Amino acid sequence: MNIELKGVVIIVGNYGSGKTEVAINLAVHHKRAGRDVRIADLDLVNPYFRTREARGPLSEMGIDVVLPAEQYLQADLPILSPEVAGMIRQPGQLALLDVGGDDVGATILATLEDEFKGKAPRVLQVVNPLRPFTETREGCLKVRHAIEKASKLAVNGIIGNANLIDETVPDNIYDGYAFVHDLSEHSELPLEFITVTRALMPSIDIHRFACPVLPIDRQLVPPWQKPVQFSELDASE
Amino acid sequence: MGKVLMKGNEAIGEAAIRAGCLNYFAYPITPQSEVAEYLSRRLPEAGGVFLQGESEVAVSYMIFGAAACGERVFTTSSSPGISLMSEGISYITAGQCPAVFVNIMRGGPGLGGILPSQADYMQSVKGGGHGDYKLLVMAPASVQEAVEMMMSAFALAEKYRNPVMILGDGLIGQMMEPVEFPDALKAEPSNKDEWATNGMATRNSNQRNLVKTLYLDPEELNSHNLMLRAKYAQMEQEEVRYEAYNVDEDYSLLIVSYGTMSRVCRTAIDNLKDQGVEIGMIRPQTLFPFPKTAIYDAAGKKSCRAVLCVEMCMGQMVEDVERSVSGQRPVHWYGKCGGEVPTPEEVMEEVNKLANP
Repeated sequence: MNIELKGVVIIVGNYGSGKTEVAINLAVHHKRAGRDVRIADLDLVNPYFRTREARGPLSEMGIDVVLPAEQYLQADLPILSPEVAGMIRQPGQLALLDVGGDDVGATILATLEDEFKGKAPRVLQVVNPLRPFTETREGCLKVRHAIEKASKLAVNGIIGNANLIDETVPDNIYDGYAFVHDLSEHSELPLEFITVTRALMPSIDIHRFACPVLPIDRQLVPPWQKPVQFSELDASE
Repeated sequence: MGKVLMKGNEAIGEAAIRAGCLNYFAYPITPQSEVAEYLSRRLPEAGGVFLQGESEVAVSYMIFGAAACGERVFTTSSSPGISLMSEGISYITAGQCPAVFVNIMRGGPGLGGILPSQADYMQSVKGGGHGDYKLLVMAPASVQEAVEMMMSAFALAEKYRNPVMILGDGLIGQMMEPVEFPDALKAEPSNKDEWATNGMATRNSNQRNLVKTLYLDPEELNSHNLMLRAKYAQMEQEEVRYEAYNVDEDYSLLIVSYGTMSRVCRTAIDNLKDQGVEIGMIRPQTLFPFPKTAIYDAAGKKSCRAVLCVEMCMGQMVEDVERSVSGQRPVHWYGKCGGEVPTPEEVMEEVNKLANP
């Protein structure tokens, strides 16, 4: 099972669900498969740990990173780069939009309403059931509806991202899978894929999942840790 | 309940609820606005009240009011906001009311920047407001520790009838880590009948409790300050907390560092150990009271040649470290103050310079 996304793909979800880490790794995954990939940091609500912090490694791989102007990179200002509208009009093979958390973060999408007209972007909700407010199915659906209302776009897929960062154990992954599988059935939204930290992959039986798995190489780490270097890894996953 | 993944700011909010605090007044400022965001959703579920003040000055007096009534209450802000609250904090200490203030520090002075900083050390430890007062100041280095400190902060504030400050840098608020919450605490402050202004005569007297900060009689004001001084002396006796790291080895240098900066130092110490260089560290968990004796003893170790203070500011803790070391060893400083957190490699380079002069 492979993850193959095309055109405009918008990553949404509740605050801290892991959207940015997923978006970065998704971009790298598609780049390794030979696709042209652009990724835009639309996170206007989070002051730290944003896609912009991984711009170095992403650019080195040939992924086009769309960011606010350099002088505003460390600001907590709602700046939307005009390039984003162009990205939606001409997405190329894959244009990823990493959106800020909750309905507040997704509001930015409503300002791009005209650009989305006549298009059918994929809007994927990242779910980590180990985060507050999304530990129940009702919680996830509440977040989904709030995001849909704020963004004026319909969520049309789910990404399972159950993790406790460094302390994730296989049971978190299996329980997390069962959770998003159930959510997918009730919401009638397809489960696009789940994520597993690469270090944990050897201890996971992926045959237990009826969806693809995206291995995560963590990029957004605190200063006393090092991001996993993409270039060191085998590209033939 | 198992572990959950939380941002420091969210975990601070949740810990307060579990400590029985149902009153939260605040004014938003990066990088701590998630506390208000979180509590605006969670507090009503828990039967509590979140009220946004019209300014930080207003918030500090809303805290004073609720605390004077015997309610568990707290606020959170970031550096410029704490400056505005400093007047109220001085009044609350004078009125001897328990309250918890959380400062998730950003760069300064002025508006500074929104990235992590530790430049409010002096403000917190030496008093940002006027008068002879002190705060009990705790500095978490992880999200889990922020939870534990928050949960003990209310009881400490009530024990001393004095505000407690949780001093975290921006990273503590913004980073996500797995956390586990201890069992909920009993909500009622035990000594509240003796001082809370509930409008009732107390068991011991027919007089109603009074909270005030004005003492026009010089003798009365002097005794009031002596009494406050005695409380701070008691804190120094009973509340010192610190963590010692790698101090059983014959280290050539002792690092003193707190908060997330100490975690960078810990990685640097581990890396240096692999290279055959031993470095010890004392990490103050309370900044007031300061772990003077622990630092004095650790610096005095025979193998130790110097002390290095590592902080995300221009050396505000150095004076306290120097006083603790008491001239036994030279005290150096390394740090940055723009929002960039020094890397383990940068700390190692600095250590190597001092270890091999």
